[in-house]
Amino acid sequence: MFIARYMTTPALTIPPEMTIPVAKELLQSRHFRHLPVVDDAGKLVGVITDRDLRSAYPSSVLSGDTIKTCLAELDKTPVSTIMTRAFFTVTPASTLDDALILLDRERVGALPVVDENGKVVGIFSIRDLTKAYRTLFGLGERGSAMIVVEDDGNPKPLTRISRVLEEHKIRFTRLIRKDQDDFLDKSTIYLRVNTYNLSAVRNALKEAGFNVTIPTITPSTE
Amino acid sequence: MPSFAPLAIITDPLCHRHDTGGNDHPEAPARLVAIKERLDQSQLAPIITTAQPRPAERQWLTTIHSDEYLYRFEETTLSGKSYLDHQDNQLCFESYEAALRAAGAGLTAIDLLEGSQTSRAFCCARPPGHHAERSLALGFCFLNNAAIAARYWQQAHHRRKVMIIDWDAHHGNGIQAAFEEDPEVFYLSIHEHPTWSFPGTGWQEETGLGPGKGATCNLPLPPGSDDAAVKKILLEKVEPTIDFFEPETIIICAGFDGHAQDDMSGLCYTTDLYRHLGDCAARWADRYCQGRVLSLLEGGYHLSSLAASVEAYLTGLVTLEP
Repeated sequence: MFIARYMTTPALTIPPEMTIPVAKELLQSRHFRHLPVVDDAGKLVGVITDRDLRSAYPSSVLSGDTIKTCLAELDKTPVSTIMTRAFFTVTPASTLDDALILLDRERVGALPVVDENGKVVGIFSIRDLTKAYRTLFGLGERGSAMIVVEDDGNPKPLTRISRVLEEHKIRFTRLIRKDQDDFLDKSTIYLRVNTYNLSAVRNALKEAGFNVTIPTITPSTE
Repeated sequence: MPSFAPLAIITDPLCHRHDTGGNDHPEAPARLVAIKERLDQSQLAPIITTAQPRPAERQWLTTIHSDEYLYRFEETTLSGKSYLDHQDNQLCFESYEAALRAAGAGLTAIDLLEGSQTSRAFCCARPPGHHAERSLALGFCFLNNAAIAARYWQQAHHRRKVMIIDWDAHHGNGIQAAFEEDPEVFYLSIHEHPTWSFPGTGWQEETGLGPGKGATCNLPLPPGSDDAAVKKILLEKVEPTIDFFEPETIIICAGFDGHAQDDMSGLCYTTDLYRHLGDCAARWADRYCQGRVLSLLEGGYHLSSLAASVEAYLTGLVTLEP
């Protein structure tokens, strides 16, 4: 769950003095979208994105002469003039949840990862987040299946499910309880089992009083 | 009274002796018994000839599996252990020999099909095969019967373009893995969506790799899908794909666990769908393969639905157009 495990390291960083065309070239050649800008000590001072760089360039509808003047100006302009100084960061000890909340709330594509001294140690992008959750949800994990169990409303459903599966030596890796919402009439439990013997899983759950249902995209009418 | 094409069924007593340990293990010898009893009583009985398979020779096994894995599988059976790689894959002393027959059934059937004795063959054998990978037993499967048959057909009978159509409720990960980079073996699978279903593979976005790009087609269905859903994709997706690939041979991975009565998947097919699938297979084989089509039993665990569905499928497969 810690960012340290899922971040991209080392992060490519640039100095504030780097000119805008050089930074643009670097982003394009490396297919990155975000560059942390750091001072001599490696401390984060700003973030530059491909969008920042694009908007720094003159519009193509301007006259040729104006464009030429602007480009000549850009050749001398350091990234520090356009970088974002109000950036958001996470630390290696932050969790995936911290990153998700920040990425979602601030609508940014990546977060520099900094240590306690503000030094950049990595970068964590939305792509890193999707990869991390892919692993956590067991997506593409060969040899598993997901079962949907109806919550029977009796106490301790997760305890009862875990106990009966363990008693039957049925390996499972994920047990997720989703509360009742507008979409599903009952609260639902998702269970990822690492077996093909789904009959055995069904029978074990039945023994514990649970009903296995076929997942459906329309709300149940029961 | 309809008229039927001859049908060869390849099966072996050893396939019954692959003991998965009882305890309600779904992949049990009773599956073959149920099918045999049903077929013996059916209108197909007079047109069926049965043949016994030869054990698959090592040279064909190694087109798909590693030597290390084959030794490990054989040793596991001989050592008295009860499973290979995962507790799902229960086995007994005779399981390796049984698996050689199940893989050999495809080879024997192909020789019959190529020898013009028959154009329809069904391997009523177990253990099943489509989950087995190069060096991994998975989902009750040890040797990948369909994949081995595909290589045999290409190399022993010089049929280049092989189409494997797999409508078992589960994705045949082992077949896809074997041929993902091969443009000459097309793998098409209709299965329950991998988010819900074992083994969690077979995403629609996967269409093959490198030179095999475009020769894999996964058609996942949401849980609860019925006959109509399958008929729709047969018409809209499968037919054009076959017409595009123009196979020289067709292998059907016939799994019957998508039946509504079968609790090993969330699919809700009726027995009638299997008749339709048999009609389709016959039509495709007649169109491109001079009628030759090989069908291999994969899953199907609810005994009476399994037996009825096999009969329905085979009836479609051999019924001659008036």
